[in-house]
Order: sequence, then structure tokens, then C-alpha cells
Amino acid sequence: MVISPVHYIALPLLAAFLIPLFAKINKELVRIIPGLVLAYLSAVSIVLMQKVVNTGQPVIETLAGWQAPWGINLVFSAFTGFLATLMTFMALLIWIYSYRFKKIDSEPAMKYYILFMMLVTGSTGIVLTGDIFNMFVFMEITAIAAYSLTAFYRDRDGAEAGFKYLLIGSFASAFVLLAILLLYTQVGTLNMAQIAERMHTVPTGMKITILVLFVTGLGIEAEMFPLNGWAPDAYSQSPGPVGATFAALVVKAGVYSLIRVIFTLFDIHGAFDFLVIMGIITLVISEFAAMKQTNLKRMLAYSSIGQMGFVLIAFGIGTKEAVFGALFLMFNHAVIKGLLFMSGSYLVYNTPSKDIKDMAGIGRKFPFMTFFFALGAFAIVGLPPFAGFWSKLYILLAAADEAMLGLVAIILMVSIVEIVYYFRVVAKLYWGKPTDNEVYHKPTFGGYISMTILAGVILLVGFYPDVITGFIDRAADTLLDKGEYISNVLPKVQELVNM
Amino acid sequence: MNNIVLIILILLGGGILSYILNKVTPLFAGLTAFAATAVAAVLFFTGLSANDSFEFTLGGMQLSWGINAYSWIFGAMVMAFAFLALLYSMSYMKGKDRLGYFYLNYSLSVMAMMGIIFSRDFISLFIFWEIMTWSSFLIVVYQGLSEGRVGIKYMIFSAIGGYAMLLSIVFMKAEMGSVLISDLIANFGSFSSGNQTMVGILLLITFGVKAAVMPLHVWAPRAYADSPMSYTSVFSGLLSKMGIFGMGIMLVSVFTQSKGFDAVNMYLISSVLAWMGAITGVMATFYAIIQTDAKRLLAYSSIGQLGYIVMGLAIGTKLSVMAALFLAVVHTIFKGTLFLVVGAVERQAGTTDMTKLTALIRRMPLTFVAALMSIIALAGIPPLAGFVGKWMLYESMIVSDHYFLVIMAFLSSTAAFLYSYRFLFGIFLGQEEPETKDVKEAPALMVIPMMLLAGLLFFLGAFPGYLFEPIANGMEYLGMGHIGWNATVLSNGWGDHLDTLAVVNSIVIIFVVVFIFLGLKNRKKTRYVTTKDVHTSGEIPTENENLTYAVDFYKPFERAIDPVMKRKMDFYYNRLGEGLESFFNFLRRIYTGNGQTYAIYVIIFLVILIIFSKQIFI
Repeated sequence: MVISPVHYIALPLLAAFLIPLFAKINKELVRIIPGLVLAYLSAVSIVLMQKVVNTGQPVIETLAGWQAPWGINLVFSAFTGFLATLMTFMALLIWIYSYRFKKIDSEPAMKYYILFMMLVTGSTGIVLTGDIFNMFVFMEITAIAAYSLTAFYRDRDGAEAGFKYLLIGSFASAFVLLAILLLYTQVGTLNMAQIAERMHTVPTGMKITILVLFVTGLGIEAEMFPLNGWAPDAYSQSPGPVGATFAALVVKAGVYSLIRVIFTLFDIHGAFDFLVIMGIITLVISEFAAMKQTNLKRMLAYSSIGQMGFVLIAFGIGTKEAVFGALFLMFNHAVIKGLLFMSGSYLVYNTPSKDIKDMAGIGRKFPFMTFFFALGAFAIVGLPPFAGFWSKLYILLAAADEAMLGLVAIILMVSIVEIVYYFRVVAKLYWGKPTDNEVYHKPTFGGYISMTILAGVILLVGFYPDVITGFIDRAADTLLDKGEYISNVLPKVQELVNM
Repeated sequence: MNNIVLIILILLGGGILSYILNKVTPLFAGLTAFAATAVAAVLFFTGLSANDSFEFTLGGMQLSWGINAYSWIFGAMVMAFAFLALLYSMSYMKGKDRLGYFYLNYSLSVMAMMGIIFSRDFISLFIFWEIMTWSSFLIVVYQGLSEGRVGIKYMIFSAIGGYAMLLSIVFMKAEMGSVLISDLIANFGSFSSGNQTMVGILLLITFGVKAAVMPLHVWAPRAYADSPMSYTSVFSGLLSKMGIFGMGIMLVSVFTQSKGFDAVNMYLISSVLAWMGAITGVMATFYAIIQTDAKRLLAYSSIGQLGYIVMGLAIGTKLSVMAALFLAVVHTIFKGTLFLVVGAVERQAGTTDMTKLTALIRRMPLTFVAALMSIIALAGIPPLAGFVGKWMLYESMIVSDHYFLVIMAFLSSTAAFLYSYRFLFGIFLGQEEPETKDVKEAPALMVIPMMLLAGLLFFLGAFPGYLFEPIANGMEYLGMGHIGWNATVLSNGWGDHLDTLAVVNSIVIIFVVVFIFLGLKNRKKTRYVTTKDVHTSGEIPTENENLTYAVDFYKPFERAIDPVMKRKMDFYYNRLGEGLESFFNFLRRIYTGNGQTYAIYVIIFLVILIIFSKQIFI
């Protein structure tokens, strides 16, 4: 069996549909199969990344030999491969974490793992595909899984959050579909490389309308303001591992699709400034809103939205260093937010009222969870010597190089707000007066392992960022070089057309 | 391996090790931290030379560490004082919980300070600066969260300072392509006028927050008072000096690179800074006088003394900078000792409220001697080291025609006598009370550092030259040109001499003679009495006579300065914070929680984009 990007799509999907059958054989298999699949995919990621790094060429797979413009191809380049690897590893860690989370009995566990596998399929599919309608299909798969996972606990909160997500998410799907249709009528192909090639033939008015539809639809997934109303609820009222999944997989796929559309498909320069401005608005409003939150997971949700705003700013600046910083920030955010959601959900789990006030002094009972949370908080704010510092530094340097010092000042002021609300919580956790509550749910062994691994990554990247800067550098190059993308993908496609 | 790296790694490793060993037994935690500091101190004093440097690339940034004559002064201060403070801490923190956490953050602070001292480039400086900030924050909240949100206030101001530095760093990188401190000094003159002002002010904000210059000082009183005393000695003694360290570089090396019109600009900024230092000195001293808690008194006093030092640096003549740096070192010694003393009193007597403490002089004589020496140095009385520094500072101000600043400085110095006396009287003197009958002297591990530091004050008062030499070398490194100095003689511009050794000798002789006369010679005729007030001479005091002056000690003074003290800076900051919070609350309501509202936001967004698409995207 040749190692190929198809495995990312085929295996989780297959596993998702076969899990009910396996459940009949042995209940434990329900939990184990996803782990096996994800472990295998992680290995595949490493192999493919090595290949891409060594040869400098993306790994392209045309599915079933169907020709463009109707055939689908998967592109595992330095950029998409980096994101896919990140997603796969984070999914593996989340699997380890949720192995026995809350000791869910077997039936809901089965549903959870089916949906989780579908979500992994969808997210990695969005990132790896080279065909725009295929991207829409994967968006839908991800969306279905995400809506259901949001409402996983069959209580009122989850249902409400799921409904809001469903409502806004259907807008996203509708607009993206409309945009794809319009685009197809103009360029006659669905293959992203060919679209990029033929984009200059589209009249400007039409181009802008299509871009607007894409931006609105994909902006919903990428949590841009004011399209992100669904996000606070979805993150905070879903189970802990699901929140981590959203932060690490779903929103990354959303931002990826937006970036791919703006950077590769379209050639409108105003879009970059637009990204910067929307990013600033998103960052400012969400961080300010986070200050007033009393629910820990909701606070983390707003912080997540803010970080995505920061990523959009960085992509909007558009230079090589800025894109480098943006990718680094995406990496950091996935890891750190994952850690924060993982430790945060145990802290919330042990507090009956879910209020931050009642979490005072919990550091005594749960020193590890509090330590992980504090580590995550320090890292995400951007304090040295943790990982978040380097990404912030690179983005600010890129902004300064473009003489956008006002932007730097805004970002730093917002960072101060971030520091306040995170450190407030950390101080309270460690040194507040403990309230008496008898609730005591110890984290599972799997939980400890995944959190330790994430904490280790944060410290490692913080002390020695050169570990991943090489990969990110290549990824940034690949993203910015539109011509390279087209020339890498198209000959493969063309040779099939000529056949 | 390079000694510089070794020092940093030992301190870091010591912190982590003490955190881990705390699980075994708390004794090990303190011991490990102390041992690590001791080893690092030995390495620092014996193993470093001016050519030591360490360069490496991390994440694409060129980082460079090294030591020079100027940073050596601060490094010596940090290592020596941290060593003694950790020795003290081993016995002060006995019985408290979460010692591993405490020593980890303590060691991280010390490591970060050494890192700052070793940094030759701004990125390393920033990294270590932030580590210092968050590790000290974690200790400020150690004793529990207080209503004034002390820890968060501290964090906000330090973050503002840190990010001001980051803003100037990214600007420097974009403008010069390098972040080396030496490159900033070399290229500063070629920045545009606006950029010079911007970089100058930003970096002064960074260092000013740490040095608690008004109006950036509001975090300091509560933060100093609420931390454990063994850390506050480091906090007030050393961390604030990191601000002075940076300011020294900025004011002496960087600003002087401006030419022509820009030089006038920079001079203006320095003058404003000098005035802010003076105001800080006066106001903080006034606030110190009206305090009833010894810790707060010392905290405000720290801020005031730092105001002097900033004033000296900002004036910028050779003598004033020498005075400022001399005072900085001496301040570390005496203020550190004072905080150690207060810690000892707190531990032994249970409280630091001066209205409740009395007459500990009999019970804690050694502590009293240390406190006395430090207070004498603080007030600037000969023969101790504080006098030398203050004398030089006054002279420098007079010589450079800053007469108004001299008036402010004198005012604040004289007012400093008031709180100095209050501190001594409130804790150690006065009438003996039954509550303090059983107080014992502090343990040896706590007394030894205090006495050593007090002895150092005495020594430097007699032989200030030993401190002049490294400071003069440091100032030469900063670019001030050769400075003459002499081991025991201070000379001023008018050709007068002050032979400190003669002063010390005469005082010692007088002391010995009186001691012999009173103590030994007339032993039979002297009687020991208790420290009870005997002034009523047998008459019965009436109701409205005040017998002891513990409470409302300076009531008339308070009444006199009341108009000046009407509004504290803190009040305005709190108002600002509240205003921002209500603004945030308003913003939060955008997320109404109603799904249909969010759907409408989407549609509105789409409509706006379509209508204005040409303007936005083309």
C-alpha cells in the first residue's frame, strides 16, 4: 500500500462507518479503532512531510484517474501538509485525552467516535484538497460532525449552542455554494489550480461579488467578526475535548480555506487590507468581551476568536515574514488552546457552578491541572520563554517592517487586556480562598499524557523554536508562491487530460 | 562551558530542582535555591572577565550575552544581595506552604535579573525582562489575593512597560536591522527627530515602571508590602535597580548621541524625567510619613529614594551620575536590610503595625542595630554610606545650577527624617508593653545577613572608594570619560575636601569614649531601668494627656500637608480602569446570545460588503 494523501480521507471515513459493526464484536474496539487510525495517520504525516521536505515538491494524488476539470486531486505540499500534520497530531492527542473522559457509557461513546472521525476526515480533507467543490463537500462533513458534537450532551445548553451553530453554519454553506456556482459559470473548472490560472479572465465586478460571497461564507467558519456569534456558545457549551477539537482542527480548516481563496484563487490586492482591518476588529472586540466573562470556557472561546483575528491580521499583512508568523501562530494556537481547553474542562468539571469565582483555590486540589492551565495562559499571552512569544514577535516584526506601527501598538494594547483576564484567573486558581465543594473528578491517565505532551511541546518550542521554523518557513514559501502551486498541480492534471 | 551561560543555567536549574525537592522536604527547597545562588555568585565574582561573551541564534534572532564594566556593578549587587536574602529566606519561610513554588519563582527572578545584566541585545533583554515580570507577579500573589487587585495592577504596569520595549524593539529592527544595544547607541543619532523621541520615551516608560517613577508607581506600595518580606527585599532592592540599569544606559549612552536640535529634545526629556524623579521623591516621602504599617512605610520610602536616583541620572553630569549609581548600590543595601528587619519583626512579634509594636529594642537588639545602621544610611547622616551619596548628589545639583531640584531634594530628605524616626520609634523604642514581652531575637540565619549588610554600610561610609572604582569604570564604559576618584576623600568643585575616614574615625572614637565612660567606668553608679515612660515624675496624668505616641504620630504634619495629598494617582487609574470595564461590558453585549441576531449580523455584513465592494477591494 503506497503511502498517499488519500489515506487521510479514506481511513477515518471508513473507520467512522465501520465503528458500529466493530461495536457488535467488542465494546472496547469503539474506543481503540479511532486511536489506531489516528496513530497510523500521524505516521503517514511524518513520512509525507519528509518526502515533501526532501524533494521540495508537493505530493499530489489524483483520485481514481478522473480528469480535470471534473476530477479531484489532493495536494500535500509544505503548507497543506504542515496543517494536515498539525491537525492529525492534535486529533491523536485529543483522542488520548478523551479515551475515558467522563467514563461515558458505550452507546454515546460510539456516537462520539463516529462523529470525531468524520470531523477529522472533513478537516484534513478541506486542507488537502485541490478541488473547490470537494472543499465544500468536506466543509459540509465537518459541519455536520461539528454541529452534532456541539450538542453532544443532551442538555439545554448544548442544544442551544448546536442550534446557533447550525443556523449560522448553514449560511456559510449556502454562501460558499453560491460562490462556487458563480465561479464555475465564469471559469468552467472546479480545480483550484486551474481557477487560479483562469482568474484573470473573469470580469472584475463578478470577481468581487464572488469574493464577497466567499469571504462571508468562509469568514463564518474562520470566526471573523461579526460572523462569529456562534463561536462562544459552541466552544463553551460543548464537551471539553470537543472545544479543543474546534480550536485545533475546525477553525484551522476554516482559516485555511479563507486564505487559500484569497491568496491563491483570487488576485485582488484590496482583500489583504480587508483582512487586516477585519482581523483588528475581531481581535479587539473579542478580547474586550473576554474581559467580562465569568465562565471559564466562554472566556477561552473569546480568546480563541481573538487569536484567529490576530492570524487574519498576519495573513493580511502578506509579506513572507508575516505569513511565517501567521503559520507559527496557528501552530501555537492549536497546541496551546488545546492544552487550555483540556485542563480548563477538568477545572470546570470540578466546579458545580462553572463560574470562575467558584474556582478559587482549586490549585491545591489539582496542582497539575492548574499548572497546565497556567502554562497555557502564559504561553498564549506571548510571554517568553514560551512558544507564543516567538509567533507574536515575528508578526510584530513583520508589521514594523511594513511601517504599520499603529497596528503594533493596537496589538500590544490588546495583549495587555489578554494578560489581565488570564492572569486574573491564574492568580485566583492558585491563591484564591477555596470554596468547599465535594466534587472531585480526577483526570484520567490519558488526560495527563496528552496534557504533558502538549506542555512539553510548548516548552520545547519556546526554548528552541528552530525545531519547527524550518517547516514553517517552507510552508510560508509554498503559500505565497501561487505560480508554483499552479505549475506543480497542473502538469499532473494536464498529463491526464492529454492522455 | 561559558561561565555566563553556566550562571544562568545554574540559577534556572536550582529553581526547578528546588520545586521538585520541595515534595521531599521543604528544607531542601530553600537549601537548593540558596546553594544554586551561592555557586552562581562564586562563578560571577571569580570566573568572569570582560571578554566573556556568548552569541547564538535562536529562531532567526541574533542573541548576544556578555559582561561589561557597567553591568558588572549591577551583577555584583544582584549576586551578593540575592545570596544573603536567600540565606535569610531559608529561616524566614520556615513553616509556610508551597515553598517549592516560592523558591522556583525566586530563582527565576534572580536568573532573569542576571540575564538582563548579561544581555547585549534587546531581544534577550526583553525575554529576561518578561520572565522577571511574571515570576515576580507569581510571588506578589503568594500571600493571597487582596481587594486592591494588587497583583493584576502590578502585571498591567509591568506589561505596559514590557510592551513599550517590544514596540521599540520591532521599530529598531525595522529601522536598523539589528537589535544590539551597541547598535542602538551607534545609530541613535541618525534616527529622525520623531523616532528618537518615540524610542526614548518608550524605553524610559519601560524602565520607569520598574523604577517606580511617578506616575507609573501606583503598583509599588501595595506590591512591596504584600509580598513575603524575604522577597520584597529583592523586589525593592534589586528589581527596581533593573529599571535604573536600563535608564542609565538610555540617559547616559543613548540620549547623548543625539545631535543638534534633537539633542535639545532629548535634554528636554531628561529634564522632565529629573523633575518627575524629584516629585516622586517628595510625594512618596510625604505618603511614607503618614503610614502606620511598617511595610507600607518602607515601600513608599523606596519609591522616594528611587526618585532621587532617577533625578541624579537624569541630570546627567559626571558627578550626578556617579552619585546616582552610588546611591543605587547603597539603597539596595540599606533598603534590603530594612525589609529583612521588618520581616524578622513580623516573624517574631506577629505584626508590623507600628501602632501596636513597641520597645523591641531590648528583645531584638541585633535587629535593632541593623535597623539603626540602615536608617542612618537612609537619612544620609554621616558616617555611613548614605551620607556620601547624598552629599555628592546635592553637590552635583548645585554645581549644575538645578537650584529648584535642590530645594525639592532637601525638602524630601528632611521629611525623610520624619519617617525614619517613626520607623525606629514605632517598632523598637517607646514604652514596653506586655504584648511584646515574649518576643525573642530573630534566628541566626536571619540575623547574620542583616548584620553583614549593616557592616557593609559602615565600611562603605569609611572607604567609599571601594565603590567608586567599579562605578567609575562603569561610567567610563558608558561613555562619560575618565572620572577621578579617591579611596577616602571626597572633593568638591571648590577645592574643599571631606575626608570620610577622618569623620568615621572621630565618630568611632567618640562612641568608644562615651561607651567606656557610661558603661564601664561608672558601672557602679549606673542603674538599669525598664523602658517605661518616667516623665510624669510621680504625678498622676490627666485624661487628655497623651502618654505614648504610637497612634497619629504625625497628626499635625498630616493636617499641614493635607491639601497636597487630596487625590492619589491611584484614584485616577482606578477610574480609568472602571471606565474601560464598562466599555468592555458594552462591547460584550454585541454577542446577545440570540441566534437570530447573529444571523442578522451575517446578512448585514454581506449586504454592506456587496454595496461597498468596489471601495473595499479595489
